[in-house]
Amino acid sequence: MSAVIEIEGLRKTFHSVRHGRRIAVDGFDLVVGAGQVHGFLGPNGSGKTTTLRALLGLVRADGGRMSVLGAPSPTHLPQVAGRVGAIVESPQFFGNFTAERTLRLLARAGGVPAVRVDEVLEQVGLRDRGHERVKGYSLGMKQRLAVASALLKQPELLILDEPANGLDPAGIREMRDLMRSLSAAGVTVLVSSHILAEIQLICDHVTIISRGRRVAAGRVDEVLAGFDQHEFRVRVDEPERAAELLRDAGLPVDAHPDHLVVGEVADATVVSRLLGEQGLWVRELTPLRPDLESVFLELTGEGVHPSLPRQVDGSRPPGGAPPHGGEIDLGTVGSDRGGNA
Amino acid sequence: MNLVRAELERLTARRFVQLMVVLLALAFGVTAATTLAGSHQPSPVELAEARAQAADARRQMDEIYQQCVDRVNGNLPPEVEEQYYPADCSEVDPVRQERLPVATDYLTGVFTFGSQARPLLFFLIAFLVLFGFLVGASYIGADLNSGGVVNLLLWRPRRMTVLGTKLGTLLGATLVLSLLASVAYLATFWVIGQTAGLAGQLDADFWRELGALHARGMVLVLLATALGFALATLGRHTSAALGTAAAYAVVWELGARLVLEIVDAPRPDRFMLSSHVGAWLAGEARFWDASGCASSGGGFCDASYTLTGGTALTVLLVLTGVLAVAAFAAFRRRDLI
Ligand SMILES: Nc1ncnc2c1ncn2[C@@H]1O[C@H](COP(=O)(O)OP(=O)(O)OP(=O)(O)O)[C@@H](O)[C@H]1O
Ligand SMILES: [Mg+2]
Repeated sequence: MSAVIEIEGLRKTFHSVRHGRRIAVDGFDLVVGAGQVHGFLGPNGSGKTTTLRALLGLVRADGGRMSVLGAPSPTHLPQVAGRVGAIVESPQFFGNFTAERTLRLLARAGGVPAVRVDEVLEQVGLRDRGHERVKGYSLGMKQRLAVASALLKQPELLILDEPANGLDPAGIREMRDLMRSLSAAGVTVLVSSHILAEIQLICDHVTIISRGRRVAAGRVDEVLAGFDQHEFRVRVDEPERAAELLRDAGLPVDAHPDHLVVGEVADATVVSRLLGEQGLWVRELTPLRPDLESVFLELTGEGVHPSLPRQVDGSRPPGGAPPHGGEIDLGTVGSDRGGNA
Repeated sequence: MNLVRAELERLTARRFVQLMVVLLALAFGVTAATTLAGSHQPSPVELAEARAQAADARRQMDEIYQQCVDRVNGNLPPEVEEQYYPADCSEVDPVRQERLPVATDYLTGVFTFGSQARPLLFFLIAFLVLFGFLVGASYIGADLNSGGVVNLLLWRPRRMTVLGTKLGTLLGATLVLSLLASVAYLATFWVIGQTAGLAGQLDADFWRELGALHARGMVLVLLATALGFALATLGRHTSAALGTAAAYAVVWELGARLVLEIVDAPRPDRFMLSSHVGAWLAGEARFWDASGCASSGGGFCDASYTLTGGTALTVLLVLTGVLAVAAFAAFRRRDLI
């Protein structure tokens, strides 16, 4: 499978007179293979949008190599731009134009036949309101228009930065269906989002970024498997005695008011046999699989102090010690919680 | 080509552009209407009277010149009432005057195209210069801020082409609009002159001069447009161009002029853009240099100097060119958020 997007060691530092330097992306790597639906996750301010902007030639990278559809970016971007549809961080549109006119102008500038305009308006559910001024659109309608503009050129690669932003539940589901159908038609999709359940539903691959660096990447099931601590929820009649038995057998046990959580269980029969032999009959034995949300919080070090108001994941000031020791080795997760002060 | 058409549509759809065109039409309509209302075709009697008055005035000028010469020669007839005569009689020599009184000067309430065309054209050029500057600035300024440029760059990731097309389309559209406006404007007043006033002296010289003024005016309009565009691009905002223009006017044209006068700097006017604009439009401009005669000890001293149209154009071109190049260079490297 050939790579559609390749980013290697991307760096970007913003300079401002008042706030000095701000490292937004700090040696970030990303590989998206052809045909993938690739989730791009990271906390606020972790550098997702900056990465996409650099990839699309909107901001100038300070270092690293990037290519899109085989063309080095940004130098050879014009050669492939016609095959890449993108929205970056809720694009703005000229309020006085109707959606239809906005798209027609873009289509004209890009040499796309005008019939596409009606097709994409239909596709994103704006058919009946495409003749109204964008100024009067709701947030979700503007977002749909943005997606429409990305779809206009029938791209081979679709880059969507938070496409679900502002969409209602039905809209989110429509977006999901849209991405699935595009993917089925062979379009490669890179999508950033904060709705992790959504990403878990539609993406086959993910890359997680934190403070400008990649902290995890790979197939969704593999990333999740790497965080699987083989925990089971156990309900029995005499939880205290059961906990003791299990601990004696060398298994870590967390006692909860109405159930136990047992870790490091290679096989469920281990638990049921151990307890059954002592006459303790198991009423429930459920494997606890990690979901993307818990993995994400784990990786980005944000589930640690739930009581403290969390500060956005700003880029580190230059010279500051990185809170994470680079990319996480899937499997040895617990040890890598960085000190997030 | 598609990009140009898209830009043209974007440009003409801008509210601000439409507003300025309406204002132009309005100013034009009001001037034409009031001129029409206040003008009538002179009757033969009026014409004859005016001709007589003009002839009178010319004769009077001849007399005064003659008296001046006589006085210098010491043979001024005693019966002539002594009045003021200049030391140098050539100053009142009718032959040397720029223009002599003509009949139309003595016609009240009569619009004469021949003598009014120049000032009317000046007004139109002034309006178009303002129009060009404001539209040039707001066109790119609004597009940079509304995300239009970013959206376009996602489609056409060639910054120089995109910005160049914008500037080219803008200049082309402004020129076409200016040409159309001037033709409509002059034609209307010409018709008013023909039907409700006087045509005046419309010889080849008149048209040549009017044409030259118009051509210089169009150059100025294009320069102003490019300047507005460049300033707004550099400052990423429409208001950057407006602010720069306002600051320049106050700080330099007023403030610095005052300071230069206080410190007796030689020929302060040549540092002012307004002087160059005037010089370019008029072909040349003469300025009086107060400090030039300080050393001549009260004797005769001509301290005036000229700014030629050529120098003026060079100054204006260089200024606009430098700013435009800077704008393109900045846009080429800049992070677009
Ligand atoms: N134009 C800019 N000037 C200065 N700093 C910037 C600029 N754009 C982004 N940054 C900084 O770069 C860092 C990364 O920002 P970025 O927008 O890439 O985050 P993100 O991952 O997209 O966040 P979010 O999930 O909130 O959209 C942030 O710390 C941000 O403050
Ligand atoms: Mg973002």
